[in-house]
Amino acid sequence: MATVKLTNVKKVYGKNTVAVQDFNLEIADKEFVVFVGPSGCGKSTTLRMIAGLEEITEGTIEIGGRVVNDLQPKDRDIAMVFQNYALYPHLTVFENMAFALRLKRIPVEEPVLNKDGTPKLDKEGKEIKRTVFKKLPNDEIYEKVTNAAEILGITEYLTRRPRELSGGQRQRVAIGRAMVRDSQVFLMDEPLSNLDAKLRNQMRAEIILLRQKIDTTFIYVTHDQTEAMTLGDRIVIMKDGFIMQVGTPTEVFEMPDNLFVAEFIGAPKMNTFKTTLERVEDEYFVSPCGVRMPVDGEKGAALLGKDVKTQQIILGVRPEHITLTNKANPYAIPCTIEVNEMMGSELHLHVTSEAGDKIIVRVPTVSLTGAQINMLRTGARVYITFKSKVMHFFGEDEINLLTDKENVIGKLPEREIPAELLEEEPKKRLFKRKKADKQADEADQTTAGSDAQGEASVDMQAEEPRQEAEQTGEKS
Amino acid sequence: MKDDEILTTTPQNDDLYLENAQECENNEQDITIEDAPIDVEFDIAEEQTDIDIECADNVAFDMPVNAPTTSRAVYMPTEESVRKEHMSARRKSRISNGVIYAILVVMCVVWILPFIGILLESFRCESTGQVGYIFPKVWGFDNYVRLFTETQFPRWFGNTLIMGLVTAVVQTIFVMAVSYALSRNRFKGRKLLMNIMLIFGMFPGFLTLILLYTWMNDWHLTMENAPWGLIIIYVASSGMGYYIAKGFFDTISHSLDEAARVDGATQFQVFYKIIMPLSKPIIIYTILMGFMGPWGDFVMASFMANNASAGYNAAAGLQWLLVDAKINEWYTTFCAGGVVVAVPITILFMCLQKYYVAGVTGGAVKG
Repeated sequence: MATVKLTNVKKVYGKNTVAVQDFNLEIADKEFVVFVGPSGCGKSTTLRMIAGLEEITEGTIEIGGRVVNDLQPKDRDIAMVFQNYALYPHLTVFENMAFALRLKRIPVEEPVLNKDGTPKLDKEGKEIKRTVFKKLPNDEIYEKVTNAAEILGITEYLTRRPRELSGGQRQRVAIGRAMVRDSQVFLMDEPLSNLDAKLRNQMRAEIILLRQKIDTTFIYVTHDQTEAMTLGDRIVIMKDGFIMQVGTPTEVFEMPDNLFVAEFIGAPKMNTFKTTLERVEDEYFVSPCGVRMPVDGEKGAALLGKDVKTQQIILGVRPEHITLTNKANPYAIPCTIEVNEMMGSELHLHVTSEAGDKIIVRVPTVSLTGAQINMLRTGARVYITFKSKVMHFFGEDEINLLTDKENVIGKLPEREIPAELLEEEPKKRLFKRKKADKQADEADQTTAGSDAQGEASVDMQAEEPRQEAEQTGEKS
Repeated sequence: MKDDEILTTTPQNDDLYLENAQECENNEQDITIEDAPIDVEFDIAEEQTDIDIECADNVAFDMPVNAPTTSRAVYMPTEESVRKEHMSARRKSRISNGVIYAILVVMCVVWILPFIGILLESFRCESTGQVGYIFPKVWGFDNYVRLFTETQFPRWFGNTLIMGLVTAVVQTIFVMAVSYALSRNRFKGRKLLMNIMLIFGMFPGFLTLILLYTWMNDWHLTMENAPWGLIIIYVASSGMGYYIAKGFFDTISHSLDEAARVDGATQFQVFYKIIMPLSKPIIIYTILMGFMGPWGDFVMASFMANNASAGYNAAAGLQWLLVDAKINEWYTTFCAGGVVVAVPITILFMCLQKYYVAGVTGGAVKG
């Protein structure tokens, strides 16, 4: 039960690979914060830095007001659930959960005794006391473990070994192991991604219930936006080591700061159109797919409030905000269905407009007749239109034109992945260095061309990322 | 596409839709009354009542939705063909198995003959020298009795046992520690160190024989004291045999270490509470290897003992029985000694074979 504060936290692997850039975040007491982002965005690294499993390159991390940069994980008072459960295979479920409790030592002050059992006194007649570190009594361990097991419904498996459990049960044990610690912060690193889809949904609901029961600060890492939206009080969306947006699920869904967040949150992903935002006096018009349509009054007023001029924009429309319409609609965009995905309660249509834009439309099946559903198949021609109330406008720098925040991160430079990182097995260093030396020698011999030198220096630099690849590979 | 081809909804369907819509409206009202204090307006897809869908020419609507689009020729095996194939496969595997077993049996016989020979010779009582036949004419335990009463064999055996046990224990500790450090910790020069150890390990130990003898002689650990000198020699470089154990540790997920560290364990606690219990096979493998090294060593042991028979190990001592002057008198006793030496290691292997295989293969996965 504590706040967590990260100030300018940065993580650099090797010399050049920056995993986390200038991370600033304050997590309130008992808040449930979710870090979400595509793989390689630095979310797990950040969590591992909070846990103390990864060194912090720059910045400070505070837990409960105490800077923990140089503390060992065991001294940070945190509990963590790992993606692959990380249960101790040789211990029973009970011992797995009791492991941390058995290692725990509680400082107790007790009087120093004379040989005859009377307390030793100092010159002023006071009892001399010393601090003794005592183990938790067995009863207490038993009670805590059985309590946690009861909450998680794994009481009957307490005597089993982890390998005799199913995936969901193992994950419960892993959560139980973290629960018994009563720690200040509860860290979860993609705890559900090893489970199958059905079990994942079930466990997600259970985590929400669990959270009400244990009531502590949660930091949860996932790559699944559904988990992020359903679990988090606040969501931190990350990309390439940068925080793209922090906000409540509703905020990030309805008011994404930038194009990345807009596309990342929501499934299927938001449709985008490169188009022009025209301002004719106090009215705005957009023309996606060559169909000019007015912007809804509310949004228009907001744009006007920001004094947005005519400019090239990226228009974002969510699939659920596109509706099928008839030919007579003045804002109808004619499209051809490429793929139809029947999801039961809704129909996902992947359509192509005449201008060649690929658009995803989400149609609730309840609004369609059986005959209509049958007709909506590949090759059919449909008319779609946008609900302009819920359009999103992004400038060319990919920042939302309507955002009130400052310092919003827009477009990130493309990250180059060195070819070495893509190699599966890094070669033995001994031989690698020889090769690099040889290339450098060759380059020296042909000094005439400046190109050759350039190449050689590139080769020399290439060594570092490879080392990092080894490191990260071995750690993951 | 002509206008009249445009499909619109039929009135019947429209009714159906309206019903649906009404249901929805009913639901809305319920929601408004019970849950939402403010008037919430729900409009479910108001535009969808009137949709135009035009069909491209290539879409055939009379086709049921779920019908397969293409028919594929599927090979249906008949009962007879199945039986034929099955039989021929079975016959084939029987023949190839037969060949394999024949080769294996021949190899086993070739491999075991010397052992049977030495066993039979050790029970021969009619003569003590080398003879041209295998099966003894008079059976008995005379050679074993001589071995233990008339030679210093008990001393040699004891020397070997002590060396084997001490080396096994100390070497295991060294190897485990080095392997764990190399597997889990990242430090400068780690790769270089590993490569150097690997390359040095390839040089045969007796290259340094003379140098080692001089050193040990200075410390008075040769001749009668050779076993203690030998223990130092065996143990000193044992950490270099880290390779298989490190390979095994690498297969243990790092997240176990991390979980334990988060749970409050120090690195040493992680090592002996988590990693050690999981490494039983590799520990047993290392112990076995540590025990077998001194047990079978001859070159180093006989050189360090330098003709002081009290410092011999079993191998060197038994060899001493075979010098030209004695061979005719002691040959069968030597065979008996060979059998006695083989007994403990055989028992050990039979007990621990399961772990031994698991250790070698477990370490080989990533080694």
